[in-house]
Amino acid sequence: MSKEIVAMILAGGRGTRLEALTAKVAKPAVYFGGKYRIIDFPLSNCANSGIDIVGVLTQYESVLLGTYVGAGSKWGLDGNKSLAAILPARERGEVGATWYAGTADAIYQNIGFLDQHSPEYVLILSGDHIYKMDYADMLAAHKAKGADLTVAVLNVSMKEASRFGIMNTNKDGTIYEFEEKPEKPKSTLASMGIYIFTYKELRKYLIEDAKDENSKHDFGMNIIPMMLNDGKKLYAYEFAGYWKDVGTVESLWQANMDLLDDKELDLYNIKRDWKIYTEDTLSKPQIIGEEATVKNSLVTQGCIVNGDVKGSVLFNNVYIGEGAKVVDSVLMPGVLVEEGAEIYKSIVDEGVVIKAKKVVNKEAKEVELVSDNAK
Amino acid sequence: MAKVVGLVNLHSDVSYKGLTERRPVASVSFLGRYGIIDFVLSNMSNSNVDTVGVLIKEKPRSLFKHLGNGNSWNFNSKSGGVSLLYNEKYANNTMYNHDINNLVENIAFIEKAKADYVVIAPAHIITTMNYAEVIDAHARSGAEITMVYQRINNAHESFVGSDYLRLKGKQVTEIKQNKGNRKERNISLETYVINTKVLLQLIGYAKKISSFFDLKDTLAYLCDERKIMAYEYKGFARCIDSYDAYYKVSMEFLDMDVSTQVFKSTWPIFTNTNDTPPTKYLKNAQVKKSFVANGAIIDGEVEGSILSRNVTIGKNAVVKNCIILNGSKVSPGAHLENVIIDKDARIEKKTELIGDSEPLYVKEGDVV
Repeated sequence: MSKEIVAMILAGGRGTRLEALTAKVAKPAVYFGGKYRIIDFPLSNCANSGIDIVGVLTQYESVLLGTYVGAGSKWGLDGNKSLAAILPARERGEVGATWYAGTADAIYQNIGFLDQHSPEYVLILSGDHIYKMDYADMLAAHKAKGADLTVAVLNVSMKEASRFGIMNTNKDGTIYEFEEKPEKPKSTLASMGIYIFTYKELRKYLIEDAKDENSKHDFGMNIIPMMLNDGKKLYAYEFAGYWKDVGTVESLWQANMDLLDDKELDLYNIKRDWKIYTEDTLSKPQIIGEEATVKNSLVTQGCIVNGDVKGSVLFNNVYIGEGAKVVDSVLMPGVLVEEGAEIYKSIVDEGVVIKAKKVVNKEAKEVELVSDNAK
Repeated sequence: MAKVVGLVNLHSDVSYKGLTERRPVASVSFLGRYGIIDFVLSNMSNSNVDTVGVLIKEKPRSLFKHLGNGNSWNFNSKSGGVSLLYNEKYANNTMYNHDINNLVENIAFIEKAKADYVVIAPAHIITTMNYAEVIDAHARSGAEITMVYQRINNAHESFVGSDYLRLKGKQVTEIKQNKGNRKERNISLETYVINTKVLLQLIGYAKKISSFFDLKDTLAYLCDERKIMAYEYKGFARCIDSYDAYYKVSMEFLDMDVSTQVFKSTWPIFTNTNDTPPTKYLKNAQVKKSFVANGAIIDGEVEGSILSRNVTIGKNAVVKNCIILNGSKVSPGAHLENVIIDKDARIEKKTELIGDSEPLYVKEGDVV
């Protein structure tokens, strides 16, 4: 049976700048926001947008990510006619073993999967962005314009524009030029790496691109310029709202801190019912002890807090001992902070034990990453 | 290994006032994120009993919703699972709506399971019992029926109305009601292991003695004819058999020495997930000695309380010794002590609510 739209999530990246946090897991599997992994956001957006066939393309450290996504039951994608499929780089009959050489190549190598569902449209997503977005609205715009490709863009400041791929558009929203990290940006519409293609066109261009030995097989650098050259209809779709690509330890810390501010990402569905689904950890409710204080923080189930927590995000099963102080920090699952220890402006990786009375990053100038995987 | 099927027996006279007006005891919210039934279901799951029938007495709607397909309790979805056994015929007939008639109506469930033993347990007695150990003892004893009991020394104030056992060695000689006139009793935990064949005989037998006889009556009637073994359980057990007991036992869990007896990594308590975000503590939050579920937003003072999912506590509100169920909102500045607030209620106008040793109750969805 053919589907109107199939989503493909690019989740193969390593995220080297996240240092020890991605020593053993792919970037989309990195923890975020007290109970989530980053990939929960695109997967939940798909589920909430009514997209029920989702391919997850994996490469770097794919085992944990593959197990986590599983059949998609955490996001309700495991019905009779819905599916979350892990598509790792692999040995294939016609060409043997290959890695994914670029974003476009990753999709090209899975044309067979797409053909099987023969969708009219394909939504390409990145597995490491944090945002809430209704892709159904974007699809409606794509259809209304009769576009071949719609690119979601975010209006960033002129100062930031040089860090992004920038879409230069005409007044009617058509894209006439794409510039990767321009020194002197002509526009502030940054590509979010979210594309809706009319599949017929995508298929044609992927095959053409695969033949080109000099291509980097990248959507931004190769596919989009090729389509522009051919005079295809490319539209920018402007997204307004919170969106973050957490590339570094600093930006991951900042994105977690953003959650403490009501105006940013609305996890509590105050404006719109749009749940982010994730794994349930079977933990008991959080226990706040008799001598504890918790202020301006996110705390999730399974935590036991006996000390002082301020401006911090605590993942499941974190234990804070008596007299311990945790300030402006992100404590990932199972972190144990012993009596009297102090932690300032840090990300503490899963399962780390902070010994009694130890003081971490008292200066609190830069974000400190504490991890057992650190070199 | 012997094949075992579990029955969660929800046929009892237990109720919690307003909390059970529209839902059965089994699906009353407990400790912020559980339903009362989660404990017995988790025990079944952790004891590797993976085919479970729930004998539903009444008000099944919230229970159907809570249990879904039973996946959350880690039962194998193909070879086992949870079956909801409801007796439509007698749903509105108090005298006939008992466990024996429910079993008669749903006898196919027992017959099809082809199990050697049936383990039967109630939801309102909270334990961390490993049924595998009881079944083992049962099999070794050669008994047809085993009843689980606990020797307690506060029978004058807890388990009042429950049954107690008179024993001769390890054999049950008499089953009587605990009227609270003695401290030491061998209290029945209403948990039984019965050979499947014997259970089928009992059902037939009960029908012949009296149409009003339930399983308890039948066992009491038969204990001098059949060999009933007693099994002593020494672990955690609390009987939540009234509104007061619900409040008292809930508050007891705030003591870490109590809650660590139940929440052990080797014995997970399963429940269904609601995908609620972490709880947000705002700048004015002052929370102490409390259980808090996910999804709450707290800007007030909370002490000695249990907050369920998605509860909101406004700025400068004071909440002491309260149980607040899912989605309820306490407005800024309100002052609550010893109150149980049911789901989705809002404390807006009446800003001071103070209960005594029997907590005040605010109904589901009420605006106060």
